[in-house]
Amino acid sequence: MKEHQAYTVRRIMSRVFWIFFILIILSFFLIPIYWVASMAFKNFFDTFDLPPKWIFKPTLLGFKIAFNTRPILRWTINSLIISVGGTILSLALGVPAGYCLARAQFWGKRMMWNGILLTRVIPPIVIVLPVRVFMQSIGLFGTQLAVILYTAVFNATFTAWIMSGFFESIPVDIEDMALIDGCSPIGAFWRIALPLCKPGLVTVTLFSFIFTWNDFLGALTLTSPETATLPIGIMSGAGQLAVQWNVLAAICLIAIIPVMVLCISLQRYYVSGLTLGAIK
Amino acid sequence: MTLRKLNRYFFKKKSSLLLLIVPLVVYLFVFFVYPLTYEVYISFFNYSLGSPTKSFVGFGNYVYMFFKDVQFFVSVKNTFIFITLAMLIELVIGFTIALALNKESKSMGLLRSLIIIPTSLTPMAVGMAWKTLYNPDMGAIPYYLNCLGGTNSAPTLNPSTALFALVIVEIWQWTPIVVLLMLAALKSLPLEIYEAGRVDGASIWQSFKYITIPLMRPIIILIAMLRVIDGMKTFDTIWAITGGGPGTATTVMNLRVYDVGIQQLRIGYAAAISNVISLIGLILGGVLIYILYSKKYEM
Repeated sequence: MKEHQAYTVRRIMSRVFWIFFILIILSFFLIPIYWVASMAFKNFFDTFDLPPKWIFKPTLLGFKIAFNTRPILRWTINSLIISVGGTILSLALGVPAGYCLARAQFWGKRMMWNGILLTRVIPPIVIVLPVRVFMQSIGLFGTQLAVILYTAVFNATFTAWIMSGFFESIPVDIEDMALIDGCSPIGAFWRIALPLCKPGLVTVTLFSFIFTWNDFLGALTLTSPETATLPIGIMSGAGQLAVQWNVLAAICLIAIIPVMVLCISLQRYYVSGLTLGAIK
Repeated sequence: MTLRKLNRYFFKKKSSLLLLIVPLVVYLFVFFVYPLTYEVYISFFNYSLGSPTKSFVGFGNYVYMFFKDVQFFVSVKNTFIFITLAMLIELVIGFTIALALNKESKSMGLLRSLIIIPTSLTPMAVGMAWKTLYNPDMGAIPYYLNCLGGTNSAPTLNPSTALFALVIVEIWQWTPIVVLLMLAALKSLPLEIYEAGRVDGASIWQSFKYITIPLMRPIIILIAMLRVIDGMKTFDTIWAITGGGPGTATTVMNLRVYDVGIQQLRIGYAAAISNVISLIGLILGGVLIYILYSKKYEM
């Protein structure tokens, strides 16, 4: 009896320990986010008050100054244009490619897979410089299109990778039957395989959008002030000597809220994309 | 031949299917293969962006890089330290968290959705947020460190701790992915072995040490490789928080290329460094393929 009691006590203690541990972990991951969010709503003096103020009186001053002194709308619109455009391009390139990789046997398939892997292991900095030289030579430097074309390299291959997995998981029989009935293979792709893989489509769309929205290096190298995106805006907000932290935090918040909302609301797809993207 | 087999054959032979992949292939050639080849090509020249002339220097850039450029080796060292440290800490913490989350299954969905938030955030914004946290004058971290008795004015101003401060940011943002992958792996472990162990009288610690760890080893190695590969790409956060400083204490190879290529406009030399990075990437990719394929045969 005593042994059982001791065992139960141990179990409760271990439970409590793990819950405590998880709480610490959660706060580690969430506190910096709270910190930025809180800084965005502080007035100027609260931002550099020491000891750091965790409770304060919120104000929209930071946002007001941000919108008045900086082209936030332009940054947001550029980010939107580039993200949406980039997503459409990578879907158009990657989804059919994924289907082809899943269904067709052809010479060079091995090479294609290696190519896709290459886009994953080569740091973007290697690509960005020549692309900039290229864009300058064909006059596309400083346009949103340049960034769209650049990010699609990584997004389209990721899309193809993920979608091929989804396509492989649906049985070929339905498409076979369609072929018997006289459907073309591309028709089978468009009318049968694609609708069956809607979760996969959501996942790759989500990832392409988030990746392009968050992109900094591409925008830094390829845009001009008229086409700057939100990440560039964040950087420009910190370049001055007397930095207004609440303004900076407000810009950061504007940049991260869309992706945060997308990530939380489409969490299931986000998680599946992360896990699939790691395992081939 | 059955009708089904005939149609499979029919399906595979339809070359119109290949049309679906042609756009991507062409696109990759223009925007991926061409840039890579250009990098190799231009690395043999001294070329300033915008100047109409370039002078052929053969292996001059590489000679300079390996024999005369101290900063190159500094950046290699920084990259190596950054990646290895980040990967190890992420693995340890990620594994621990995954073990903890594996037990609780009630609020798993909520925990999971909360914990992956950092991975979706704009790295530039993450960098700025941590920059304010690390700020020597009004940041929370130096303040609390001083309260606890440290004498550092700020982790990011001290050349010997700056890199580590950046590693913290890296693990903050990417440990959740490790947790996710580890969780998926943990859930796929066969339960019968644990039961057999319990029957034989194994304690929790013993079943962990002799069952969990050996079974997880291939996955852990795979995740480690992935984190190393992704670590090579880190740019935004480092740029935002320290810009490569103080001095060159946090300049990783990425930043060095950007420095040389866009800020100094020496495209040729930047290309040379980029090629070294590509080479490292290729080697890592090769190792990754090796791991993936040996795993496939094992399973």
